[in-house]
Amino acid sequence: MSAEGAGLDVFGDVTFGIPDRLRASYRTTTYFNTAPDEPMQRWLTVRPDGRVLAFAGKVEYGQGVRSGFAMEVAEELRLGLDSVEVTLGDTELVPWDLGTFGSGSTAYVGLQLRRAAATARAALLDLAADRLDLPASELGLAGGRVVAARDPARSLGYGELVADAYRRAEIPEGEVDLTSPGEFSVLGTERGRVDAMDRVTGAAVYSRDVLLPGLLHAAVLRPPSLGAELADVDARVAEQLPGIVRVVHEPAGPGRPALAAILAESDEQALRAASVVQARWEERSGQPSRWDVPRILLDSARDAMVMQESGDVEEGLGTSARTLEASYYAPYISIAPMEPRAATARWEDERLTVWAGTQRPFGIRSELAAHFEMPEARVRVIAPEIGGGFGGKSIYPLALEAARLARAAGRPVRVAFDRQEETQHSTFRPAALVSIRSGVDAEGCLVAWEYEAIHAGERALIGRRGSESPYAATHLRTVVSSADSPLPVGSYRSLGAAVNHFARESHVDEIAAAAGADPVEWRRRHLGEPRYHGVLDEAVRRFGWRSAAPGSGARDGRGVGVAVGIDVGSYVALCVAVEGGGQEVHVARVSAAIDCGLAVNPDGVVNQIEGGILQGLGGTLTEAIEFEGGVVLNPGFARYRVPRIHNTPRVDVGVVGDPLVRSTGAGELGIVPIAAAVANAVYDATGQRIRELPLQRQLQPAG
Amino acid sequence: MPTLRVNGERREADDGARNLLSYLRFDLGLTGTKYACGEGLCGACTVLVDGQALRSCMTSVGAVAGGDVTTIEGLAPEAASMGELHPVQRAFVEEGAMQCGYCIPGFVMSTVGLLAREPHPTRGQVQEALAEHICRCGTYVRILRAVERAAGGATPGSTP
Ligand code: FES
Ligand code: FES
Repeated sequence: MSAEGAGLDVFGDVTFGIPDRLRASYRTTTYFNTAPDEPMQRWLTVRPDGRVLAFAGKVEYGQGVRSGFAMEVAEELRLGLDSVEVTLGDTELVPWDLGTFGSGSTAYVGLQLRRAAATARAALLDLAADRLDLPASELGLAGGRVVAARDPARSLGYGELVADAYRRAEIPEGEVDLTSPGEFSVLGTERGRVDAMDRVTGAAVYSRDVLLPGLLHAAVLRPPSLGAELADVDARVAEQLPGIVRVVHEPAGPGRPALAAILAESDEQALRAASVVQARWEERSGQPSRWDVPRILLDSARDAMVMQESGDVEEGLGTSARTLEASYYAPYISIAPMEPRAATARWEDERLTVWAGTQRPFGIRSELAAHFEMPEARVRVIAPEIGGGFGGKSIYPLALEAARLARAAGRPVRVAFDRQEETQHSTFRPAALVSIRSGVDAEGCLVAWEYEAIHAGERALIGRRGSESPYAATHLRTVVSSADSPLPVGSYRSLGAAVNHFARESHVDEIAAAAGADPVEWRRRHLGEPRYHGVLDEAVRRFGWRSAAPGSGARDGRGVGVAVGIDVGSYVALCVAVEGGGQEVHVARVSAAIDCGLAVNPDGVVNQIEGGILQGLGGTLTEAIEFEGGVVLNPGFARYRVPRIHNTPRVDVGVVGDPLVRSTGAGELGIVPIAAAVANAVYDATGQRIRELPLQRQLQPAG
Repeated sequence: MPTLRVNGERREADDGARNLLSYLRFDLGLTGTKYACGEGLCGACTVLVDGQALRSCMTSVGAVAGGDVTTIEGLAPEAASMGELHPVQRAFVEEGAMQCGYCIPGFVMSTVGLLAREPHPTRGQVQEALAEHICRCGTYVRILRAVERAAGGATPGSTP
């Protein structure tokens, strides 16, 4: 309820847009470990001072959701963007939410906010109709006021309309009267980020920046290798050092990992003391290294899921004029967000507040409540600004660590990963091995397609994403398996879609090369979905693509490549040009086109595509996790090479979606086709077909 | 006890060995300067010392004693609107050069340092000055445009 005791609150279903089959999984898995306590919660408030507050359980980690949500609300209430204030990711204030992953869910929350704002608009019109004694049809909205159409001098501000009493409206279950795209004045227009100022002045608060009075800094003893168990801690020397307030050692218990940490008045005091603690760890012996991974994948493949099947692949291959067979490999890569995770916890009167830059504030609240056996209502999780997440910050063990330590110390505690910890104690994009067999007829048309992918780890959904082929073939079979994983795996931008696209779009290029066909033409012949054609045509036009079969050029160190893709219902096509031979390849130019339906904020979409492309160049060219015996050997930026500013190609992006089509995600699309497009361009430039990421490692010296 | 100026204010530090980044963030509460690697490899912690860009994670308070430290908060301390921002900050906003924004203070500080010694840098000089910075969100295309705009060199929307 509004603090003033007056104003208008709009309530609505917090599970809007979540498919029924997923609701069945509430409280069951890591990502679905939470459930709404109250189905109807507050989405929007119109305050007596005329300000409009919007609430959403999503978090801002760079995708611009705060701005997108502000635009949806501003559109329906005919407001300027600066009259809308968006609160995100604070479990005490915002409607329950599963978490910020899978761009589609964000689109639904945006839609629900739009519906909330349209509901508020209808309520405001009703109130004004009463007061002005006019039918609602003779009223309009402008600049935060309801105005009589015939006599603009007669008007009432939103604040005035709601100042006399507290009111509650509910978003109707069915259709809500939304503004039609033809009348949009905010949605689909170029707008800057509403939170841009704070980001250039240093005012934006990230989880690492939450400093409370009386705060203690923790240095947590971390296992030296994966799975190591803490056997013994001797902190007698450490305890004597200046600034040390406490040494906490909670042994492991049922459902509770061991936790040992030094708590100090300053960060450096804690670290110094931790460095002289004598800790004995029982390490797991015989852990595999990165060289073992392909073998592990093949030997432990299981839970094969048939994603597509038609005709008979063996028969198709038998009748093909030409067949091809190839395998593609992608190693583990690190998410490496710029902000290593941190959490700060405070207990007050048996109530717990934790600041944690997580993509799942409600999920983390459920974890904390379960651990301390207390009602969720007494736990508050606040996700401040997040310095990059890309899917990885759904898992956030630091929240519980900070809460346990704060409880033990009786003071607020901050736990923060350093860069090495962020890499070593994180999850990775799974390594994957894909084998493809294909057959074409005499004209080079696809007859048979067999796609078998093995992605490391138990999270089968990661590997399945983006595995289905969009190319017409009579005989088709796509199978995706899980396998053992020596490293913990988790979400990373587009899950397995980027890896599946690397394999498929590379193989298609090989088919085109063997058939002497232009790879754009070949795709056009085999793609049915018009939205694929839309993005492909646009990318090709922007790029100035000249038809030729891959590898047919002069190979003077320049080459071009193309790839298309789909993810979370959005379509993308990329054309790239590379330069340079030998072991250094430079991506000089990228033209992209994307169709994500209604682009709420086109510049935001372009920014996401550019970012996905740039980030994806890392996994394409240089990034790979090296590990041995449960230890990551390249946990820092010195030997885990990510793209830097001098690697930046010229990038141009076209947005071609139909505004009448519901918005789908854009955050993950840039990364999906980039590896294949570059590998294809490298082939075109050098004649080398590289089927293993990162490409730079596989390139032969020039000569 | 080392003394220094931070954003124009005279400060006395207790401990000359204190890491400069920790001192700024935790002792002075200037959290706009970020930690991301602690190894001098990413630029998130960049501040200006006597006008020159410096990785604060790699140095101590004592090492900059007597110096004049400017953090991101010190560029336009009173700014309440776009117009009052430092021109480099404004250029980043105008070009939409950010996603999560975590790397941005560092990029801004290095750019301020660059433009102070080289008001009209070439593309190559910009890339060199910012080569030690990392933006994991991949906003380099826009960062380049923002630097060019701040240097008075580019118009909105021009592609690098
Ligand atoms: S934090 Fe100082 S360079 Fe990365
Ligand atoms: S904007 Fe996120 S790291 Fe640069």
